[in-house]
Amino acid sequence: MMRFGEQLVDRQNPDGGWGAQIGRASSTEVTALATLALGRLDSPDARMSAAYGVQWLTTRQHDDGGWPVSARVGEASWSTALAILALDELGREPSAALRGARWLMRQTPRTLGLTVSLLHRFAPGALEVRLNPDLQGWAWTAGAASFIEPTAYALLALKRARRHLPGAAVVQRIEEGERMVYDRMCRHGGWNYGNSTVLEADLWPYADVTALALLALADHRDHEANERSLRTLHGMLQHVSSGLSLAWAVLCFSAYGEDVRPVQGRLAEQYARTGFLDETRAVALGLLALSGGAAAFRV
Amino acid sequence: MLAAGAATAMHGCVDAPRWRRDAVRQTPRSRVAILPAAAYDDRLVEIVLRGLRLFNVPAVGKRVVLKPNFVEHDANGIVNTHPTLVAATIEAFRRMGARQVLVAEGPGHYRDTEHLITATGLHTVLREHRTRYVDLNNDDVRPLPIASHYTPLGHLYLPETLLEADLLVSMPKLKTHHWAGVTLSLKNMFGCIPGAIYGWPKNVLHWAGIHESIVDINSTLPVPRFAIIDGLTGMEGNGPIQGEAKQCGALVFSDDLVAADATAARLMTIDPRGIRYLVEAGRFLGNVAEERIDQLGEPIDRLRQDFRVLPAFRALKRFA
Repeated sequence: MMRFGEQLVDRQNPDGGWGAQIGRASSTEVTALATLALGRLDSPDARMSAAYGVQWLTTRQHDDGGWPVSARVGEASWSTALAILALDELGREPSAALRGARWLMRQTPRTLGLTVSLLHRFAPGALEVRLNPDLQGWAWTAGAASFIEPTAYALLALKRARRHLPGAAVVQRIEEGERMVYDRMCRHGGWNYGNSTVLEADLWPYADVTALALLALADHRDHEANERSLRTLHGMLQHVSSGLSLAWAVLCFSAYGEDVRPVQGRLAEQYARTGFLDETRAVALGLLALSGGAAAFRV
Repeated sequence: MLAAGAATAMHGCVDAPRWRRDAVRQTPRSRVAILPAAAYDDRLVEIVLRGLRLFNVPAVGKRVVLKPNFVEHDANGIVNTHPTLVAATIEAFRRMGARQVLVAEGPGHYRDTEHLITATGLHTVLREHRTRYVDLNNDDVRPLPIASHYTPLGHLYLPETLLEADLLVSMPKLKTHHWAGVTLSLKNMFGCIPGAIYGWPKNVLHWAGIHESIVDINSTLPVPRFAIIDGLTGMEGNGPIQGEAKQCGALVFSDDLVAADATAARLMTIDPRGIRYLVEAGRFLGNVAEERIDQLGEPIDRLRQDFRVLPAFRALKRFA
């Protein structure tokens, strides 16, 4: 675990953020995850590093409350939800997190239009994809439709922030986002980027997205879809051993009260074997997975 | 997703140019080589070398970026560019004196790059050939104004790794595509667009129109390009991920990506003149018309295969 922490400290950019790999420009996603992970460690170096991470996040927030993908990109983005999670979990800059949550509440993905909505109700077989077009989650970027991963991040962030956001609107938005995620579940459980069926052919789930979606839905653990997807995730992990998927799986299993030590062992072995291909995001998630970091995603 | 329904109309018959003058790459004539290749093995190095030399590809001292098509892991090995071909191309460019060869990809659906490139065997190739892999989805980016205006996007964020390259080699698999008809060297450039900004899938491009986005991306990339299409085993039917394997036994080479794709489509017994993005690209980015393409290597008819298409694309088979 300390090795992951040292790795993260060493990878920090001079501006206080972290990029996808060493030498890359700092990104909101990786900075939020690295800050979250280092915030769990007791060492002075880790604490200092996390403090610089918080500073990077707060100085990159737009006036409207959103965060861009990186300093090189103008538009606010899906990674706003991760910045909120980091600031909320670390108890730092609550007003920034709250402004971020309000930005999330204002985001409305592109709809598929009235025709698709009517087809879904009266002739669903005519659609090229199997989904309920009336359910809105969150998009990766403005002008796009809802997809699973940004919706899962937004749900995690809003479920954490709702204690500061009174009113029915946030509850309704969370519930609709949850319904959208369930609607997109693959036939045998689990999730991919966001389509279960295209042109009448079933698509298959991904381990990392399934674990993330289950984390976002962990307050519905007895739901049959959760149980089915959890079994599917266990099955997928027989064939997937990447740092990213194993780390998300540990965080997910931990949230569902399962024994995570076997997967943690595989995660450490995989790091020794591949170094997670130098991906800082996977190192940060790995540290979270090895340090009881599921608490950061508790809903 | 939902691309077919979301695509905006492409006005193929307008007279006014829809591209900047400096975006024009079309030359009076183009050359395309079809070289037979029997198997994914070490012999591919010599075949790739032969293909590159036919075009006098400038490699000495150059920084070459190979852009294969890696979408999702499939046990049958028919979805992605074969790693053995990637290995052969790395080796061929090194023998030709390239200063640096990189492999770069930005998968459209899948964020778990470590799993994708290890499960497909690409990681083994990269390790054996001591070659760096760049995840274009998370690369540093620079915004560039779009050089044509088929989409309303205005500008594209493009990865620095590509902008710093001396040569970008598009290495797609020979496949049918359920939204675009075929996916070849031009469509492969979707993988140059960073997912961190445009998402997984790159849904903004779908709303802007798949055909339109293909043209705008290819008009905007300011890097010399070359195509090597993996047609040893292609995919027919419900491509790009759920179709069936189709043997073709060919590699297609060209320094005109439009001509490469038009020829590859003909190799699949698909009429390129019915594919909207090829029609538009054929107005300024390269040549589609058979009479403007000099055929090198094998004649098309010698290796042509009848690739099955989805019913929506039956019209593309009529010319056969």
